[in-house]
Amino acid sequence: MATFKLDGEDITFEPGDTVIRAAWRAGREIPHYCWHPGLSVAANCRMCLVEITSGRKIDMPILKWDAKKSDYVPATKPKLQPACQFQASEGLEVSSKSEPVKQAQGAVQEFLLLNHPVDCPICDQAGECKLQDYYLEHQGTPKRKLTEPVHKPKGVRFGPTIVYDAERCIMCTRCIRVCDELAGDHVLDMRERGNRNEIVLAPGRELDHKYSLMTEHVCPVGALTSRDFRFKARVWFLKSAPGVCNGCSKGCNTHVDFDPRYGKVYRLRPRDNMDVNKFWMCDDGLMTYEEAHDNRLFMGRVGRGEAGDFVGAADAIAEAAQALKSVDGNEIAVVLSAQNSTEDNYALARLGRALGATRQYLAAKGGWEGDDILREADNNPNRAGATAAAGSAFAGTVSDLAEHVASGDVRAVLALGSHTAADTASLAKLEGLERFICLASNGGGMADAAQVAIPIANWAEAHGSFTNSAGTNQPFKRAIPAAPGIEPGWRAIASLAAALGHDLGFHRVQDVRAAMKPASADSDTTEARA
Amino acid sequence: MEPADDIIESEDTALELPSDPMRLNMGPSHPAMHGTIRMVLDLDGETIQNVDIQPGYLHRGFEKSCERGTWNQVFPYTDRLNYVSPMLCNIGFSLAVEKLMDITIPERGQYYRVILGELARISDHFTCNGASAMELGAFTPFLWVLKVRDWIWKVLEQETGARMTHSFGRVGGMAAPPTETFHHDVAALIPHIEQVTGEVEHMLLHNRIFLDRMQGVGNLDKEHALAMGCTGPVARSAGIDCDVRRDNPYMLYDRFDFEVPVGTTGDNFDRFMVRMEEVRQSVRIIHQALEQMPTDGPVNHPDLRVSLPEKDDVYNTIEATIAHFKLVMEGLKPPQGEVYSYTEAGNGELGFHLVSDGSGTPYRVRVRPPCWYNLQACRSMILGDMLADIIPTFGSINMIGGECDR
Repeated sequence: MATFKLDGEDITFEPGDTVIRAAWRAGREIPHYCWHPGLSVAANCRMCLVEITSGRKIDMPILKWDAKKSDYVPATKPKLQPACQFQASEGLEVSSKSEPVKQAQGAVQEFLLLNHPVDCPICDQAGECKLQDYYLEHQGTPKRKLTEPVHKPKGVRFGPTIVYDAERCIMCTRCIRVCDELAGDHVLDMRERGNRNEIVLAPGRELDHKYSLMTEHVCPVGALTSRDFRFKARVWFLKSAPGVCNGCSKGCNTHVDFDPRYGKVYRLRPRDNMDVNKFWMCDDGLMTYEEAHDNRLFMGRVGRGEAGDFVGAADAIAEAAQALKSVDGNEIAVVLSAQNSTEDNYALARLGRALGATRQYLAAKGGWEGDDILREADNNPNRAGATAAAGSAFAGTVSDLAEHVASGDVRAVLALGSHTAADTASLAKLEGLERFICLASNGGGMADAAQVAIPIANWAEAHGSFTNSAGTNQPFKRAIPAAPGIEPGWRAIASLAAALGHDLGFHRVQDVRAAMKPASADSDTTEARA
Repeated sequence: MEPADDIIESEDTALELPSDPMRLNMGPSHPAMHGTIRMVLDLDGETIQNVDIQPGYLHRGFEKSCERGTWNQVFPYTDRLNYVSPMLCNIGFSLAVEKLMDITIPERGQYYRVILGELARISDHFTCNGASAMELGAFTPFLWVLKVRDWIWKVLEQETGARMTHSFGRVGGMAAPPTETFHHDVAALIPHIEQVTGEVEHMLLHNRIFLDRMQGVGNLDKEHALAMGCTGPVARSAGIDCDVRRDNPYMLYDRFDFEVPVGTTGDNFDRFMVRMEEVRQSVRIIHQALEQMPTDGPVNHPDLRVSLPEKDDVYNTIEATIAHFKLVMEGLKPPQGEVYSYTEAGNGELGFHLVSDGSGTPYRVRVRPPCWYNLQACRSMILGDMLADIIPTFGSINMIGGECDR
C-alpha cells in the first residue's frame, strides 16, 4: 500500500486521500477546525498548515524582526500547505511539527482568539472546546491586543433546537456544510467578511430540519449550542457509555453521556461507526435520552388505575406468578417488544415456551417518518431481534392479540414494554382482561392497561443489544444504575419464571447471550465500535 | 482475704526473678514514641537484648492518594510527610515535577524557596533537639527553641497563610510572591536564632546529666549507616560526609558558602551537635540568599501552561481564562516519562520518583522518605543499651510518622 511520511512516521493512504484524512485514519491528529472527516474540504481555518519537506522547496521572502538590530531584515520561510487539501502521494514527506508550522499554528490560534469573548465560565462547550485544547497545545502566550474586542450578536435563536453566538464563532463553516451535505437543506450561510463575518439563516427560514443538532455536534467551539443541553451540565463531570439509539431501526451508535453523581443521562452524542451511522444522528434520535427519565415506573402496581396498589417489584412478580398459575399455558399470550433489548425479549420468549404459550405477539411503536439519510421507516430499534426471539410462535401484533382476547382464545397476557403504536382501540379491548401482566420501564400504553405492572430497567440502566434493520446485532452497555429494587428485564423475567417453577438459568447477562447464540448464530453479530 | 504477709511467707510462692528475657511492648501509643510506632523489646533486666521495630501505624496511603487529583493537588499531601518542615517537602515535590517537565523557575522564586526551606530546616532541627533535651529532663531549652520555632512560623504564616501545613509549593513556582516585609522580617529573625542557638548550647553542653545520657549512647558506625541507606544528620553524625545541597546542588545552593558538619562516633551527642551546627549553616545560607535575592521580578514560571495566570488577566482576556480553566479543571500535563528527583530535607535525602503518563494526574508517585532508612539503623543503635536510652536515641533519629509510614 502506498505510504507517505508524516513527522518521520510512515502513513498509508488510499488513492484520493488528503494528508489529514490519511493521518486521521492512522490515528494521528493534525490540528484542525474546519476539516471534518464526514464533510467536504473548506480549508478556511488554516490550522492544519503543514510543511512539505520533500520535493522542490518553495521558500517565500519575508521580513523578519531582528531584535538585535531592532529592525526588519530579509529572510525566507517555507510555503506551508493545508493538510486538509493537500493530496497524499507516494514518497511525500510532511512535517506537522517543524518550527515554521508551530509558528503558523500559534499565529492562527492567536488570531482566532483575538476577539473571542471571555465566555468559558458560561459556555457549554468549555471542557470539550477545540479553542481551549489548541490554545494550550499550540499557543500558550498571553493576549497582546488590549483594545475592546469586536462585538457581534449573541444568543441568536436559530430554531427550536439551536442557539447561535456569533462572538464565539470561528467561521469554520462546518455547520453550513453539515446542513448542505448531510441534511440537504441550505438553511445556513455566511454573510459579510473579516470582523463582521457571521453565520445567518436563509431569509424566512429557521434551522428546523431533522438534523439540526448535528450543527452543534460539528461546531468545534461554543458558537452553536443545543437549547436542550444548554446550562444543564458541565461536560467534565459527565462520563460516557457506549449506547445504541432506540429511536429507529437504523441503530445509530451513541455515546450516552451521564453524570455518575446523580445517575442521570444528560445527552446522547453520535458515536462514529462507518458501517451504520458514520458520524451522524438525527434530532429525534438524540432526544430519545429523555425517555430514560420521563414517566418511569419505579414501583410495581397491582390493580388498575385508581384501584391499583403500588407494591415492590418482588411483590408484583409474586402477584403475576399467582395470576399465571391459574390458567393453561396455551391460553397465555406472550407479547414481545420491539422497543426492548434482544436479551429481554429472548428471556420472555423462553419463559413463554416453558409455560407452553404457543402465541407470541409483537408490540411496537408507531408515528414516525423515515427519510433516505439515516432515519428508517420503522421507529423500533429491535423489531428484528424481537421477531427472531418469537421464532415460529409469532402470532401477530397487538391488534391480533385484541381479537384473540375478544374471541376467548387468550385468557392471560404477559407483555414486555409499554409501547403499542398508539393502538388505543386494541388496548381498550385488553383492559377488561383479569390476567394482564406487563413488564415495563416506562408508564403509559400497556403498562397502564395491565392488571399487574412490573418495573424493569431501561436501555440506559442495563446491558443489552438491539438488532437493527440491516440485521446487525449491536450491544450497548449500562450507563447508570437502575433505581433500587429494579432489575433488568431478563432478570425480572427469570425471577417470574422461578416463581412459576421454571429455572431459566439466567443469572448474568452473559448467560442470556450464551443461550441466545444458537438461535441467532446465522444473523450477523458484530461488536459495536467502542 | 488473706493477709499479704501470709502470701510472701508461704514457701510455694517465694519471689523469684525469671532468668529468661522479659518481653515488653513499647508503643504504638506511648508518650515517648514520637508518632505511632511500636517496639517489641526483649529485656535482660534493663538491657535491650533484642528489639523488633514496627512502623506502619500511620500509613494513610499517601502515594495512592496522589494518583487521584492533579499534580498540584499533591502538595497538601506532601505537607503531611515531614510535618515539622512541610516547606522542604513542598519544594522537593515542586522540583521533582519541574524536573519532569524540564523547566526552571525564575531566580527570585528559587531564592524564595531557599530561604523558606532553610527556615523550615531550622525549625525542624530545633524541634528535634529541643524535644530530645526535654525528654532528658531539660525543659528550659525546649521552651527556648520552641520560642524560635514560633517566630519562624510567624514568618511562614505571613508568607503562606498557615503555620504548619502550608501547601505553599506549586509546580512552576510558589502559591504567592514574597510579601513586602519578607526581607525585613527574615533579616530581623536571624540574630535571634543565632542567640538562642548559643543559649541552648550553653545550657546543655555543660550539663553532666545531659552529656552522660547523650555521649556514647546510640552509637552508629559508618559502615552500618551506609548499609542501611542513612542520609541527613543521622548519616553525617556517623562520619559520612554527604549533603545533597552540596554534592548535587539544586536550585541555587552552589552559590552559597556553607559547610557540612560531620560527626565521628555517630552517637546521640553527635547527632545533636550536627543538627545544632546545621542550624548555624542554614542561618548562613539565609543570610547570603537575602543579600542575593532580587527585590522584584516574577517568582513563577512564565508559561501559562504551567503557572496560573494573573487573576486580572483571567477575568479580562480569553487566553488567560482558557489557561486558568485548563489548569484548574484538567491540571498541568507533564510529558510522558519518569524522573527521580532528590533534595536535602530535614532528615536527609527526600526523593520523589514520579511517573507521568502525560495526563493531568500523576500515574505513580513514589516517595523516598529519609526517616524510613534512618529508622532501619535504629535497631543496631539501641541493641545492648539500656531501656531508658531508647528515648534519647529514638528521639535523635527524628522519625516522623507522616513521612516514614506515608
